[in-house]
Amino acid sequence: MKGLWLISLFVLALLLPIVVLAGGQGGFDGVVNSIESKYHARATKIPFLGVISLISRKATGGGVSNLHVATFEHFSGPVDGDELNRMVEEKLGQGWERIIRETRKKGNEQTVIFMRSEGEKMGLFVVDLDGQELDVVEVSVSPDHLNESLKHYSHSREDDSKDESD
Amino acid sequence: MKHRIIALLLGAAVLAAPVLAQTSQLPAPSPLEKELAARASNVTEVTLGKNMLGFASKFMDGKDKDQATAKQLIDGLDGIYVRSYEFDKEGEYSPEQAEQLRKYFETGEWTPMVHEHSRKSGENSDVMVKMVNGENRGILVFETEPKELTIVLILGPIHMSDLGKLKGIAGLGDLGDIEKNSDGKEKKDKKDGAQ
Repeated sequence: MKGLWLISLFVLALLLPIVVLAGGQGGFDGVVNSIESKYHARATKIPFLGVISLISRKATGGGVSNLHVATFEHFSGPVDGDELNRMVEEKLGQGWERIIRETRKKGNEQTVIFMRSEGEKMGLFVVDLDGQELDVVEVSVSPDHLNESLKHYSHSREDDSKDESD
Repeated sequence: MKHRIIALLLGAAVLAAPVLAQTSQLPAPSPLEKELAARASNVTEVTLGKNMLGFASKFMDGKDKDQATAKQLIDGLDGIYVRSYEFDKEGEYSPEQAEQLRKYFETGEWTPMVHEHSRKSGENSDVMVKMVNGENRGILVFETEPKELTIVLILGPIHMSDLGKLKGIAGLGDLGDIEKNSDGKEKKDKKDGAQ
């Protein structure tokens, strides 16, 4: 019986990487991995992004959270806007709706923005190609909290300019 | 018992019909759009359903007068659908394709309001409104130029004079120009002579 368990675990361990490599992973990582494999590019890792995400969450009172960023520098090769859009759509899965797509200069500039409702928050997923740089950003935004933070910021800026004029 | 259930279901359907009629959904993209997007050098597509518009309106400051008006307007809308294709040279799309696309969106419920045609520049503008029970429930703008094709569809209670208020939303900056065009007071710079 113990042998049977061990064999099952062994088979499972062998299958798991195959499923992942076959594109089973979705969400932000799924999109980044797909871009990497499709365009033979490697995303630049941004150090301490988890810490940055935490700080932005605290600083905005929960207005901005779940920050994910991947940057592809020296991105070469033509990008078919339709193909990129389809790939992102497939990897993001259900719940996400594409709200904006812009293509400029025959494929050298591509922007796709997806949005989804996350309760009180709004999830935003942006893929932006500008010349040789491609950025993938995912962020959750709480409009109410963010508005409060922005108001606070604009008030303090107004106060500063008043002080300066005095 | 079976008859009672059917009667209840029919009753519910009758009651729900006016509610459903008041909110309309954005159409599915036309099959032609893919073809046009593949040929165009610049493509802009904006699709905002009611839920997404609801979120967008939350970013507007209700205390600011202009933003409060836009917020109120957006809250009432059912959807915004914009497609803009710019081509490098003329003849990348045929008049038949433009007509096919126009017919796809222009169903029986749309009433033509403005039709503008310039033989000299080859520009055509059509503005249609959707009337439900005497109320304006949508605007459809269809513009063709030799190297450009634009469709703007806004569903919900909206008037031409409101279009400029939506230009703050990403990708909808040109709506302010459409509003001016409909008044006949001001035209886009690039449309000189199209009056």
